Amino acid sequence: MSFVVVENVGKEYGEGGPAVRVLEGISFGLREGEFAALMGPSGSGKSTLLTVVGAMNRPTEGRVVVDGIDVYALSEERRADFRREYLGFVFQQHHLMPYLTALENVMLPLAPLPLRAREKGARAGAALARVGLAGKESRLPGQLSGGEQGRLAIARAVVNDPPLLLADEPTGALDSRTGAEVMGVLRALNAAGQTVLLVTHNPENAALAHRVLHIQDGNALSVFAPEALAPAREATSFETLSQVGG
Amino acid sequence: MRISTIAWANLRRRKARALFLVAGIAIGIATAVALLSLSRMISEEIGLQLDQYGANIVVVPKSDQLALDYGGVAVSGVSFDVGQLTDEDVGRIREIPYSARLSAVAPKVLGAVEAEGRRVLLAGVDFESEFALNRWWRLVGRKPEAEGELVAGYDAARALGLIAPSDADESFPVVREFAASVDHTAMSAHAHHAMMERHFRLARASVTVGGREFKLAAVLAPTGGREDSMLFGRLGEAQALLKRPGQVSVVEVSALCKDCPVEDIVGQIAQKLPNAKVSALQQAVRARTETVGRLTRFAYAVSAVVLLIGALLIFTTVTGSVVERTKEIGVMRAVGFRRSHIFRGLMLEVLAVSALGGLLGWAAGALAARLMLPYFSQTGIGFDADPRLAALSVLAALAVGAAASWYPTRRASRLDPAEAVRHV
Repeated sequence: MSFVVVENVGKEYGEGGPAVRVLEGISFGLREGEFAALMGPSGSGKSTLLTVVGAMNRPTEGRVVVDGIDVYALSEERRADFRREYLGFVFQQHHLMPYLTALENVMLPLAPLPLRAREKGARAGAALARVGLAGKESRLPGQLSGGEQGRLAIARAVVNDPPLLLADEPTGALDSRTGAEVMGVLRALNAAGQTVLLVTHNPENAALAHRVLHIQDGNALSVFAPEALAPAREATSFETLSQVGG
Repeated sequence: MRISTIAWANLRRRKARALFLVAGIAIGIATAVALLSLSRMISEEIGLQLDQYGANIVVVPKSDQLALDYGGVAVSGVSFDVGQLTDEDVGRIREIPYSARLSAVAPKVLGAVEAEGRRVLLAGVDFESEFALNRWWRLVGRKPEAEGELVAGYDAARALGLIAPSDADESFPVVREFAASVDHTAMSAHAHHAMMERHFRLARASVTVGGREFKLAAVLAPTGGREDSMLFGRLGEAQALLKRPGQVSVVEVSALCKDCPVEDIVGQIAQKLPNAKVSALQQAVRARTETVGRLTRFAYAVSAVVLLIGALLIFTTVTGSVVERTKEIGVMRAVGFRRSHIFRGLMLEVLAVSALGGLLGWAAGALAARLMLPYFSQTGIGFDADPRLAALSVLAALAVGAAASWYPTRRASRLDPAEAVRHV
């Protein structure tokens, strides 16, 4: 049984103006511990789909069920609790708080929790250690390299031990070396049992996944094995990948 | 880490914006504090001044007979010869619980006497109390010091031939010792002006009243009041002359009612003297209340406008700050902050800044009021910082801060996290 079930999801924008349909009839599932890559051309609706799965963006139709919980049947505040308990987000630009130290940034999702400061610190410290940033707790994000910032963003996403990690092009703003560094961390987390849904343009990154979900124009979702990405990896061209996805 | 940690960190990060907000709130609160402090101090000053002028309570014997007007005050009895109050009653007035608030208790026995062949109203008084009560009186001559001395009102003195116009180069000593405390008041200026216009000198050293010769100690400069047509002697001597030993016709009381309702004092005197009719002269009290009320209303109105401007400043600053932090708020929502957490965090920042602004505003306002008071005060009343105003200032700043930032803060807490994260 799938841990995440996306069922006939559609999304339309444009309240009060001409409606723009971004997603239509999207359905797929993710098993617990699976690493899936979501690919597609720009404007195909990848990021929108990620936010829909991430309980942040109510779909116009369809539903999202995570661990048996119909996410959008929850109230707004309960959905915030759900995000804190079940989900970890890694954003393309990392979106770290520049005025908080690395440790404080990682502690951010713990701030609303009624835990002792020591426990929060210990959890955040452990998360930093998992991504190889032990000893850099007191650094501000601006004092870290791009790769370190990416890893810091991952540490923040996993500090709550969420069952599902959602990453939106976490290497998009990084060079290939630091991007590989970040992907290494994601892969290691997955190897430890973390379910990951990764939005990426990069076939190299997608090749690390168990499955590749390819979305086209918001309505055609095809699923294939990463091995099918070989031609695209060689060409590093998205057009080629689109042809593979058919 | 708590939500408050993020709030403090954010304030530290945006020091200039925080200081700008603190300054805006502090200026608003300082203006309000300065105005209200000045208004309060001036109100107190006016209260003290009005309390010092004349009687505000009159005690007369109870009577079923027709009332006779006495200088605008209803005095019981068709005749001044009706006297049911006694010297002991005067003593009882001084024993009321609010006795400390009685600045003057001036008993009088009133009666018509023959003086220099003319009928004239004689008032037997306690001169010390009378001068304390009527601080605007000016004497041409000297203060009565011994038995057998009189003071004549200006009209009475003129009618009895006791004064003559002053020579141009001749001047008479004016007793100023009773004027010292009221030199700056409008009333003393008026009396002084009147006196300067009508110079006169004593033409006689003595006057015969009721067949007895009295020394003429002084003549009152014209006041325009009832005392102009009266003679004033010592209470005991007048009682003897009028054959009413130990009796008192009326007791005029000056009560310092700044902090207490005059009705309370009236009630206490009435309780002590069940056979007397005790009346409060409401005009003075009402005039004071009205003056003080106008000042206070003005201070409140200006304070409200300034605080409104402060509120608009907070509104625009917080709105700008929220827009600037849209992405940050989106991230917090994405990682599991509830709307209420966002609201609480933002509000905490505003309230911290408001509290600091309120405190600084109070200090600045109190200092400004202290520095400005000499320019507004007529008597050089000392500034007295009200510690309750400090608490009120902080509370007002918090209320203004909370009210002004409520809308942008609530809007921020309701941002769609997916949209907010994408915000550029």
